[in-house]
Amino acid sequence: MAAWLVRRLAASIAIVWAVATLTFFVIHLARGSPFLPEQSQHTDLATLDRLRREWGLDRPLPEQYVLYLRNLVRGDLGESFGLRRPVADALADAIPHTFTLAFAALLIDFAVGLALGIYQAVRERGVGDIVLGNAALFVNSMPTFWLGLVLLLVFAQRLHWFPVGGPSDPVLCPRVDSLPCLLDFAWHLTLPALTLGLVGAAGTARYQRAAMLEVIRQDYVRTARAKGLRERRVLLVHALRNALLPFITLVGLTFPFLLTGAVLVEWVYAWPGMGRLAVTAILQRDYYVVTGAALVTSAMVVLGNLIADVLYAVADPRIRVRGA
Amino acid sequence: MPTTRLARPLAALAALAALAGLILVAGCERPVGCTGEYCGTIVIASGGEPDILLPPVSEFSITRDVTDQLFLKLADLGPSGNTIGDEDFQPQLAERWEWDAPTTLVFHLDPRARWQDGQAVTAADVAFTYDAYTDSLVNSSFRSSLRHIAAVTTRDSLTVVFRFRQRYPEMFYDAVYHLRILPAHLLREIPRNQWRSAALGRAPVGDGPYRFVAWKAGESIELAADSTFFLGRPHLRRVIWRFTPDQQVAVTQVIAGDADAVEVLVSPDNVQRARADTNLATYPYKGSAYGYVGFNLAMPGDTTKPHPLFGDRDLRRALVMGTDRERLLRNVFGEFAKVPPGPLSQLWWIWDPEIRELPYDSGQAARLLTRTGWTDSDGDGIRDKDGHPLAFRLLLPTTSAIRRQYARLLQEQFRIAGVDVQLDEVDFSLFNERARAGRFDALLNVWNTDPTPSSGFPQTWTPAGFGRSNYGHYDNPDVDRLVDQAVASAANRDQARRAWRAAVETLNRDAPGIFLFATANVAAVHKRIVGVTIRPDSWLALLRTWRIPPDRLTDRDRVER
Repeated sequence: MAAWLVRRLAASIAIVWAVATLTFFVIHLARGSPFLPEQSQHTDLATLDRLRREWGLDRPLPEQYVLYLRNLVRGDLGESFGLRRPVADALADAIPHTFTLAFAALLIDFAVGLALGIYQAVRERGVGDIVLGNAALFVNSMPTFWLGLVLLLVFAQRLHWFPVGGPSDPVLCPRVDSLPCLLDFAWHLTLPALTLGLVGAAGTARYQRAAMLEVIRQDYVRTARAKGLRERRVLLVHALRNALLPFITLVGLTFPFLLTGAVLVEWVYAWPGMGRLAVTAILQRDYYVVTGAALVTSAMVVLGNLIADVLYAVADPRIRVRGA
Repeated sequence: MPTTRLARPLAALAALAALAGLILVAGCERPVGCTGEYCGTIVIASGGEPDILLPPVSEFSITRDVTDQLFLKLADLGPSGNTIGDEDFQPQLAERWEWDAPTTLVFHLDPRARWQDGQAVTAADVAFTYDAYTDSLVNSSFRSSLRHIAAVTTRDSLTVVFRFRQRYPEMFYDAVYHLRILPAHLLREIPRNQWRSAALGRAPVGDGPYRFVAWKAGESIELAADSTFFLGRPHLRRVIWRFTPDQQVAVTQVIAGDADAVEVLVSPDNVQRARADTNLATYPYKGSAYGYVGFNLAMPGDTTKPHPLFGDRDLRRALVMGTDRERLLRNVFGEFAKVPPGPLSQLWWIWDPEIRELPYDSGQAARLLTRTGWTDSDGDGIRDKDGHPLAFRLLLPTTSAIRRQYARLLQEQFRIAGVDVQLDEVDFSLFNERARAGRFDALLNVWNTDPTPSSGFPQTWTPAGFGRSNYGHYDNPDVDRLVDQAVASAANRDQARRAWRAAVETLNRDAPGIFLFATANVAAVHKRIVGVTIRPDSWLALLRTWRIPPDRLTDRDRVER
């Protein structure tokens, strides 16, 4: 197990490095200048050249890459051209917002997805199963940003049940330092988290339905019923526990989806997370913010998958990791 | 058991209702202590975020909006917007000024002015500021606007002297409009090439009506009124900017009631929505932008040679005359813009609908194209000459919905005239880079202008702007001479106006571009806020005088934190 873990860790680091390297070269090779943001009107070509020299962008790309790696090893992600601050600071501000959004969406995804999946499995081929199955397919087919716009239009703009964007009320709750402000934060989080969570939940429900159906046809479930156990106990204790095993893998798979989905959701809901930061940086050719965001995202995804694999190996005694 | 089955969903609903109630109660539990004239809070939705709150190193208009509340100028434009002479300017840091000589301007600072850390504002701060704005290391975009000022020196701690290289109508404007006076004692030790990321730029100390409170990256900036401000306590005690990814989201926040004000409503649809909202008041004001199709008169990649199509003046004139600009404008802007009589924004005092320009005359345009050899010889609907189709690519940024709309309408109008236009839609960074490098046939560009044509016009339509903002390499010595005459030699406003008019008419005859629209803006502000006066060149310049009467204060205005 330890050797396997070491190998997985090494592979994870290699993947993160590969993603960062690829992003570094792709964004540097993309045409456009980081010194010409949208509102830049009168910057002349001589100034552009001077800025390129000052920031070391006139050096050969491999040399810039080596310098970037050297700084990275020292924990320096570089400085943002557009934000006028260290990339690490900008990411440190944004990451908690993205994490909170992803975590809330994950909760919705699993809570709704599990409940629907179990319900559908129990009522296999019944009206409820068919209606929910098609509804889940419909939601799962929706682009995240589109669902976001629909929820925003209906629940924020028309019904005024929720705010249209931002993480908190800047007048009443400039900081989340009290229960009312925590609730205000939850209120602002609801629509973005629902947008992200519901699309995932639709997929989770289909996955869970299949897993549950497979389990409830097993002999031990039939035996449990034959012993006269109540149906609820049979389903929730005997069947669900085993049907949840593949679910652990799903956690690892869902995390990248949530992070990538968050990019668009953060834009739609003016959520100040890493996705919005990265999109703005890409449009402005803010090289080090883009590379930093890719680095952090890939690290989180790899870590999420690693944890899922470890949990899976620990949870299922039938699984023997080769080399463990 | 139906009762049991219903009990759980009902319990869940009750829990949700309790949570919602808790949120509401929690919102109401805040202490609401402030009463009277100085309690208002305004939340301004913005489609962008400042890069840094240090005026010389930022070009963003949102930065200007925020820093104008923090840093004072020596004097500012008056309500007339007149930039010529000094009679229409209003004192800010300078309580008065006089001309010692035709090229020597003396300012006397208000002795009551203080930096918010308690230090007095002195003449040395002014001299330091001028030095910083003109330093290439700081690279201020206003540097070229200060080129006629030879020196700024101090006479005593409250007297500062500006010496100009020559006499011209807008000397005073140049001295005061761009310089936000900076705290020398806080900036002197910071190397100038590091100002772009200086810590002071994220937590500035100013001398204006508001002081900095907090900046939450990606979310908001908050300022609080300086109750001791020497020119009068601001009525709104708290100003908060909420940042959104784009202007449309900002408008949505205001219409949904999450924010109180937005600078521009962007589209006619939004204006209708805002007007239908009983909580919002709309404020039309002159726009500072104009948009146009700019022809590249030089060969892309080699500016020494003429462009194979647009080097031909007759072809350019035919394309201008073949464009129904009024119809395009009605389709895109409705009533919220005007067709400009040249490269002019409505904000400029030289705006004059009587300026002569090429008329819309599709018949004459077609005849001109035929006369210059562009005919549809193969019957494919596209004119051609010597085997080459009359075709070009139009560069535009993907992020501008207005320009994308215009591009498609233009493409259709040109197709009917036998001209094939392909659209090059690229993101803004690439658009800017290609425009500056001259790598385009034609481009759909928008300029946001200063209150006066004196700086922007020469930079965009004379050789002074080569490598900068004269993307199309337009060059006509007659225009240059007339612009020089208008900017530098005119003795009075009428003479300057005549020179400007002659310059614009000469330029129009050359047709270096199709001047499509000059914007008229509409802002939306919550109705509880009164005394709203918008100065077109800087919509929040008079924010200090906006107020909320005590009987219209909401709990959010009164809340103490």
